[in-house]
Amino acid sequence: MRRAVLIAIPYAWLLALFLVPFGIVLKISLSDTAIAIPPYVPTLDLAEGWAGFRAFLSELDFENFVWLTEDDLYWKAYLSSLKIALISTIFTLLVGYPMAYGMARAPEEWRPTLMMLVILPFWTSFLIRVYAWMGILSNEGFLNQALLWLGVIGEPLALLNTNTAVYIGIVYTYLPFMILPIYAALDRLDGSLIEAAEDLGCSRLQAFWLVTIPLSRPGIIAGSFLVFIPVLGEFVIPSLLGGSGTLMIGKVLWEEFFSNRDWPVASAVAVVLLLILVIPIVLFQRNQQKQAEAEQ
Amino acid sequence: MKFKTLTLTAVMALATSAAFAEEVRVYNWSDYIDEELLTKFEEETGINLIYDVFDSNEVLETKMLAGGSGYDVVVPSGTFLQRQIQAGAFQKLDMSKLPNAVNLWDVIQDRTSGYDPENAYSINYMWGTTGLGVNVGKVKEVLGDDAPMGSMDLVLKPENMEKLASCGVHFLDAPSEMIPMVLQYLGEDPDSHDKDVIAKAEPILAAVRPHIQKFHSSEYINALANGDICVAVGWSGDILQARDRAAEAENGVEIAYNAFSQGSLMWFDQMAIPADAPNPDAAHKFLNFILDAENMAAASNYVYYANGNKASQPLLESDVIDDPAIYPDEATMQNLYITTPYPAKTQRVVTRLWTKIKSGT
Amino acid sequence: MGDIVSSTVFEPWTDPQAEPLIRFRNVTKRFGSFTAIDDLTLDIYEKEFFALLGPSGCGKTTMMRMLAGFENPTEGSIELAGRDIANVPPNKRAVNMMFQSYALFPHLNIWDNIAFGLRRDKMPKVDLEARVEEMLKLTRLEKFAKRKPHQISGGQRQRVALARSLAKAPKLLLLDEPLGALDKKLRQDTQFELMDIQEKTGTTFVIVTHDQEEAMTVASRVAVMDEGHLMQVATPDRIYENPESVYVADFIGDVNIIQGRASAVGGETYSIDWAEGQGQLTATSATSFDNGQTCHLAIRPEKVTITADRPEVADNVVQGRVHDIAYLGNLSTYHVELPNGTIIKAQTANTRRISRRSFTWEDPVWLSWTATAGVLLAN
Repeated sequence: MRRAVLIAIPYAWLLALFLVPFGIVLKISLSDTAIAIPPYVPTLDLAEGWAGFRAFLSELDFENFVWLTEDDLYWKAYLSSLKIALISTIFTLLVGYPMAYGMARAPEEWRPTLMMLVILPFWTSFLIRVYAWMGILSNEGFLNQALLWLGVIGEPLALLNTNTAVYIGIVYTYLPFMILPIYAALDRLDGSLIEAAEDLGCSRLQAFWLVTIPLSRPGIIAGSFLVFIPVLGEFVIPSLLGGSGTLMIGKVLWEEFFSNRDWPVASAVAVVLLLILVIPIVLFQRNQQKQAEAEQ
Repeated sequence: MKFKTLTLTAVMALATSAAFAEEVRVYNWSDYIDEELLTKFEEETGINLIYDVFDSNEVLETKMLAGGSGYDVVVPSGTFLQRQIQAGAFQKLDMSKLPNAVNLWDVIQDRTSGYDPENAYSINYMWGTTGLGVNVGKVKEVLGDDAPMGSMDLVLKPENMEKLASCGVHFLDAPSEMIPMVLQYLGEDPDSHDKDVIAKAEPILAAVRPHIQKFHSSEYINALANGDICVAVGWSGDILQARDRAAEAENGVEIAYNAFSQGSLMWFDQMAIPADAPNPDAAHKFLNFILDAENMAAASNYVYYANGNKASQPLLESDVIDDPAIYPDEATMQNLYITTPYPAKTQRVVTRLWTKIKSGT
Repeated sequence: MGDIVSSTVFEPWTDPQAEPLIRFRNVTKRFGSFTAIDDLTLDIYEKEFFALLGPSGCGKTTMMRMLAGFENPTEGSIELAGRDIANVPPNKRAVNMMFQSYALFPHLNIWDNIAFGLRRDKMPKVDLEARVEEMLKLTRLEKFAKRKPHQISGGQRQRVALARSLAKAPKLLLLDEPLGALDKKLRQDTQFELMDIQEKTGTTFVIVTHDQEEAMTVASRVAVMDEGHLMQVATPDRIYENPESVYVADFIGDVNIIQGRASAVGGETYSIDWAEGQGQLTATSATSFDNGQTCHLAIRPEKVTITADRPEVADNVVQGRVHDIAYLGNLSTYHVELPNGTIIKAQTANTRRISRRSFTWEDPVWLSWTATAGVLLAN
């Protein structure tokens, strides 16, 4: 009995917070837009019972999904989002790994402080931090002023409202999600393994490549997914830091929803985005599972 | 036991007093009122005022169409108001509760009736134009002293834009205003709902697109004031705010606003009461309060936008009523045009065209 | 104990012509203000099985890490085959190490673990495969080649670690507490296996251990260390029978230490005045003592005879009562309390069954030993 309750709780959670909302979005994606409240038809009228339900079902169709294939905007936006997510994940990894490595190698008594410093930005609103980057990156911003003062550049660099700014913003925002799992993996790493590798003829670099990297792989994979998945649907960072040319599916979704008031097409875009995300999430789950098995 | 009963009574007393304290929830644009008016309303009526702000019509509309927003008074712009009335989002005003409605200005009433027939659902709060905000010094530096600072030529001719690109140009991210503007420039009907006519805007915008730094509907205020950009196509009051911020900062930036000599879009922000407003009675009281000549004048003196209240005009300060950027002269007034909402299919064409211009896709 | 090694004629340290493989010359190692190794000089010869023995913190691990190249001496030099290795990094030394934790690479299978070092040497594929197979065979791991380290037992992991460190045929193999993680039975079997492999491969082994029994079993020579100093370096039998200090005597095996004052009787014989109301003890010593000098008589429990009656002829005799009996199966150790409260341990082999044991608690007994049974130590 208790066992059944214990199992039921996560499933109830999943049902209430994922499957039911997804069902609603899916239903809207199969509807048609209308000038009404809410702005789509049909709506389910439970008062009419079974007949009402059948009438409701008969009016649903896949028209909106067909529409997504007809305009190249959508697949280009998905593709561009995938590209941005992939590149930012790689950059986040390149920046985050050395930091995690440094933390894991730091003297024991420093580590809580370093960990604190990584987590500290979360104490401030994410929006405020992105706004701060607007101040740093603008033409008259701190970065350009500093570079001009140092004489590195003669003209201010156009950074804000470019993809470069988007990458900077994403890498900055998601860095802790990359650092923490890699740090966890490196922290568990037995230092004698590195010494053993050196003892067996590896240079420092070889030991890092042949032992440290493979053994921190679970952390790298976890961190990469934790960055990649949310960045794919990212909306705020590209709209604040990006230029008008930054095409991301989150923005397309916003425009369908707010500018076109086309909730059904917006829902269809969201459903497809979810399906695209399910693939990496499943891969991520499998990786976690394999890791758990390996540790047994 | 006695103690328990006491506490329970106390709690019930609190609960009832909370339920009976009348409140009104107002959802207005950000930076759009003198906050002293809010306190004044509470003092005069004893109604608890909950004031909340938004910064895009789209956000407001989504709340209206989703229903159950919980607001008593909202402030959509004309075209959005019209569509939301069609969707059944608003209730008709009870004119018997709005004695101050006599203060309304017939010139504006005439025009807003295009969105809200007989002005049955809304009253005008503020109105303005969409025009050019320029950093006078920088534009002169780039284009010379005879730069066309009040003409669409400044932002729609590639040769001008090419030079301006270096100091930064922002456009409003509002296709329903920008496309009519280009149509007006081309001599077409700016309110055209014809796909083929709308499509004519594309080559003009595409030609200047590479020189536009950003499409955004609010960042230009700060960007202009700080001197980050030198030209913005934006809303009159916002640009005037930028002008004042720059003046306050004494950073040597001089901002000016001009309606387009070719004719600018005129827009109206209308106060309306949602169909499902929890307290329509208090909502009427708030509207009537706003319609008071003195209150309306205070609001305009604060935000630098023209209002639709004739009786308030003698009470306006001279830097408002006498500024042609706020209250345009008769000739400019004749030149202003209005637009009506696009049907869903056309809206999609417009949005898509806009996305294509912005992102090249 | 110790017979196995001492019966061989392998004793290069007695040959003044022999070139040592490793030379520590006045090596000092400091970590901040802490001195781990203090002015230490030591030679280790080729094919030796050399044990560094001491309590934790004595500096034995630091010695080993300096040999491996993970630490450098603060002062002095270390030579390997006549060459100063101070600045040679670990990966360039013909030295391999077997780690206490084994340090097997968890992401590689057994085969790849063993091949790891060979791959770094860019050994041709055919030779590499042959060498790995040879190592697998040597350590009887052929069946487990494709398994991952977490899929095999502790003893098997220990053998993989050994195979991996031997695969490159190092001049010197360092073993850091190699058997520490094994249970006692497995440890004993493995000790002999280690000796066997050492003999087969002819590699010089340096083992670090805190287990004196292990050191005595496997090593050709044992260095007893304490606080960064070498207390004594000698063959296991000499360490046991002729400790040079109370520290060594006490550290290796069980011992009774009796403190007293020596007075020369003649020749190498001394009488020891050790307690009020007790007769003097007699002991022989090659080192000389001044009259009245403080001395310590160290005597192993198995060299003390316990009898019910006073023995007829004995150099030293004391009487006491059985205070405690430690039964170890093959042996029993009697703790005998003398009238002045001193406890002396005597050990006898249990050649009879326990029910027929001669003594029990509180029995009055006599303890006796010969003059040559103990060692007389100054400190």
